[in-house]
Amino acid sequence: MQKENRVLYIDNLPETLEYEVFEGDVLRLNIATFEEFKKTKINVKVHRDALFEAYMADFSTTGGKFNIDVDLLEEGAECNWHLSSMSTKDSKKEFVTSVRHMAPHTNATMANYGITRDESRMIFKGTSTIEKGAIKTITKQIAKVIVFDPNSDGVASPSLVIDDNDVSASHAAIVGRLNEQHLYYLQSRGVSLEDAKRLIALGYLKPIEAGFADENVKNRIDSVIEGGF
Amino acid sequence: MAKLVIKDLYVSVKGTSILRGLNLTVNEGETVALLGPNGHGKSTLFAAIMGDPKYTIDGGSIEFDGQDVASLSPDKRSQLGLFLAMQYPAEIPGLNSSDFFKAAMNAHREKPMALFEYYRLLEKAYKEVGIPFEMNSRNLNEGFSGGEKKRNEILQMRLLQPKIGMLDEIDSGLDVDAINVVAEVLKKEHERGAGLLVISHYARILDLIQPTRAVILINGRIVVDGDASLIKKVDTEGYEWIERELGIEVKKEINASMNNVSIGVCATKEASEANAKGK
Repeated sequence: MQKENRVLYIDNLPETLEYEVFEGDVLRLNIATFEEFKKTKINVKVHRDALFEAYMADFSTTGGKFNIDVDLLEEGAECNWHLSSMSTKDSKKEFVTSVRHMAPHTNATMANYGITRDESRMIFKGTSTIEKGAIKTITKQIAKVIVFDPNSDGVASPSLVIDDNDVSASHAAIVGRLNEQHLYYLQSRGVSLEDAKRLIALGYLKPIEAGFADENVKNRIDSVIEGGF
Repeated sequence: MAKLVIKDLYVSVKGTSILRGLNLTVNEGETVALLGPNGHGKSTLFAAIMGDPKYTIDGGSIEFDGQDVASLSPDKRSQLGLFLAMQYPAEIPGLNSSDFFKAAMNAHREKPMALFEYYRLLEKAYKEVGIPFEMNSRNLNEGFSGGEKKRNEILQMRLLQPKIGMLDEIDSGLDVDAINVVAEVLKKEHERGAGLLVISHYARILDLIQPTRAVILINGRIVVDGDASLIKKVDTEGYEWIERELGIEVKKEINASMNNVSIGVCATKEASEANAKGK
């Protein structure tokens, strides 16, 4: 029988996590960090027609390196990874999010969104590998960093390794400063520069909330975004 | 009554001077058509009045309601009662329209509005501009058609109730029905007492909103300030008569933001055509 599991971590992520999602099962992982950055390594193995879905909201105030590796072992295995992260002060955060397509008809989305403030730095890395024989596979990578403050910085360098034809792979990596014309547009309607930045950040980071089942966590994410600007 | 007074204004963009000693006064309550050939500084004037950071004020003054606004940030100018309906409104990914409108309206008030009052005003404004109320839950201008963006600008003008509204080609991209709707709303704004300063290349919207005054901007200055009969004259005769009658040489497009050849497919095409001509 199909099983659907939901796991929630709030600031209590262990150093390593291993999951195996068996045939037809669903695992939904929610991670929210508000205090210390968690230097966690996660390994996930996904079997036939199983789904691994993870939403991570990282508002931790320190830095470090976070890894997730997902193996899509059998046909129909699927992975959806969504991260929203904000770095502040002089923290340096690195996220390495990788997926391996090891069988045909496997799907993966690896989406990372970040905002860097103050003198912080954020790095998005990770490899989406499509192994030989994994035909009809779809893989998507999105890595976007908005650099909010002049002394903060961002790097988005995910990569694709494709060893077979007849696959679909897409890739978007963007690092950009706050758009001056966007800020001007919002300000021209009476909203202060600080509020305009806060509204843009909210619009950028808030969509992660949709992946969280717990209302208290959603509210906490809201207040940390709103209070942060 | 609030008055917008611009004296001897010099404005440049990326080092190229666009406005060169412009003088203009607009009173709250009057509707003024701002005419002039493309590239002579009409949009630049609006952007400079609103505080677009791309433009640099090199000299002169902009006063509104007795205050020097040139040194104020755009939000402060808006709060004083200036509004610019932009020709190309920005699309803001992820920003919910309704959240933004509420933040903007509250920025114009001492106390935040009650939720009920806000929804009542919002619903009324959507109805007036003729776009579905449900659009308030969409991201600001994201994926909107050209016409929807224009209506969304007028909607914000209705919500913010400025003392003077500047409309930069609000009718471009609108079909006849939509122009009628926008004109109706602008008439309501006029009845409310707002001053309107309107750029348009089509006589139609000006016919509908009936400006009481028209000014012509050429070579970075206002060279003619007259009544509404100027609109018809320009519509039928263009601007050549100005050279004849006033002895002003009308410069061809002075648009600093565009280079003759820019990088891209079109540039390659243009360059190859130029080569072909050369041979």
